[in-house]
Amino acid sequence: MAIDMSEIIDAPPIDRIDIWNRDDMEPRIREILDRTVRDRVKGPYAAKTDSEVIAMLERYFARTEGLEAIGISDVARMAGGASKEQFAFTLRHKGDGVGERLVLRMDPLEAISQTCRGREAQVHVAFAGILPVASVRSVDADGEIMGQPAIILGFVNGVTEPSEGTGHGVSGIGTRYDDWAAKLAPQFIDALAQVHRFDWRSADLSYYAAPEAGTRQAAIWQVNWWSQVWWDGVVQPVAMVTYAERWLREHAPICDAPVMCHSDLRLGNFMFEEPSGKFTAVLDWELAHIGDFHEDIAWAIQRLFGTWTDDGTFLVCGLIARDEFLRAYEAASGNRIDPVKLRYYEVLNAYKCAVIDLGQAMRAATQSNNHQDIILTWLGSAGAVFLEQLVMLIREA
Amino acid sequence: MLPNIDLRIANMIKALEQVVLPALPRDQRLARDQAMLVAGHLRMMGEQWKSALRYEQVALDDLQGLARQLLPAASALLADDLKAALAMAQACDRASVTAIERANIDLGHAVDAVILGGTDHAPLPPASIDALLDYALRHARRERSWFKANRLDPDQNDLPDLETMLADAD
Repeated sequence: MAIDMSEIIDAPPIDRIDIWNRDDMEPRIREILDRTVRDRVKGPYAAKTDSEVIAMLERYFARTEGLEAIGISDVARMAGGASKEQFAFTLRHKGDGVGERLVLRMDPLEAISQTCRGREAQVHVAFAGILPVASVRSVDADGEIMGQPAIILGFVNGVTEPSEGTGHGVSGIGTRYDDWAAKLAPQFIDALAQVHRFDWRSADLSYYAAPEAGTRQAAIWQVNWWSQVWWDGVVQPVAMVTYAERWLREHAPICDAPVMCHSDLRLGNFMFEEPSGKFTAVLDWELAHIGDFHEDIAWAIQRLFGTWTDDGTFLVCGLIARDEFLRAYEAASGNRIDPVKLRYYEVLNAYKCAVIDLGQAMRAATQSNNHQDIILTWLGSAGAVFLEQLVMLIREA
Repeated sequence: MLPNIDLRIANMIKALEQVVLPALPRDQRLARDQAMLVAGHLRMMGEQWKSALRYEQVALDDLQGLARQLLPAASALLADDLKAALAMAQACDRASVTAIERANIDLGHAVDAVILGGTDHAPLPPASIDALLDYALRHARRERSWFKANRLDPDQNDLPDLETMLADAD
């Protein structure tokens, strides 16, 4: 049964937030989205060759650090992810003949999600010593020297899926952890709790802004971010995406205490060593922002990121049964999960995924602006999974 | 036509899987991943191409049905735009995938405007919301069935094959 929206529209205001003010957004996110539209016409983009990467890195280290006799070797394109161009390489120079193994992570002209390398660097630095994260060697947030935005990270050993596993997929989707789950699940839950307990007010996070506590701003900032992505890049209108945006504005919940959210902590986005199973890195912080912790929980429990046991039990991120996961998270974090807010953020995340798959990915591939357009269209072909989730979630809400 | 499209698609998949992929070094993951995805896309397109026109027709017909259901509650200005888009959709060349896609996009924008309720975001009546969610479910199921061969859908085993899906739409 649908809700009569006139009752909600006529209700007294909850706070000073204008749910239809599309300009109410984190300033840096606005800059990134505006840059995306401005640069979109510069395509098409071609995957970088090893020799191009070597030339870019030699120039970069000479200019930023004044290194001499620079040698870039053992360049290897890294698999995984559906967003950034990533290369492992070894840096040697006059002052270091032994060499340093590093990872270059840089933006293609347009990716499945358009994010900020400066934010990524800041959050990596902030969490060093709290969680296993790659160290930050250098960052070129706006690509002023490298030619395209980039971050250079320390190389981390480990795997994102068991070497002898039984299930693999694009961007980790479909990975089965089997016997590894018992070792990985507690670390996964602890990582979520650590992220949410983090004191973001004391950290250098100048690329970030925080939504006002006790208002709906945390939710509306996310709706404004992703709806802007949709309307800036829409290839073909999708009625459910448009209705979901409206529903999300009209049902935005208050966030009492904004926390740091990783925003993509799921299977495929943590590395571990074999055979111990110990986490070596929490990956892909590019979507991190300050918001409502329910957003991360709702992200982790999505069906697309889960697997099923042979007896039909759904495992969150292939690791742990849903109810057990929610209980363990509450115990580890001290946060109480509000089922209404959790449902709201399940809708928001399904919306976000639909926007990414059917909006941004299709726009980037249509413009030929990515180094792996074919992966974008492959992921786009799964976009309807999120449309059906939106229908189900909104009907049940 | 000789060779026909099915044969050429099959040849391309064979060349990729039996010649190109084995020749690619194991450490060239990007190249290997993309070659496998090319084969995957080709296999899907091989199943889809004969039904593509029918699929687009069904999609446009369904969107027109939604547009008609939204019409009574739309404001005068939005209703005029929606009627115009509906008329264009009805007049489009139904033998052309490109023409149907264009009509779908134009009508989709007019439907979106009604969903958003114009600049004052007028409330959507419950009947419109019900119609919209019913349509959205049909649309999602159709698309999921169309692309079920990508094997990304967690519930792919519950989806009908393309012929059944299109027959049900009739």
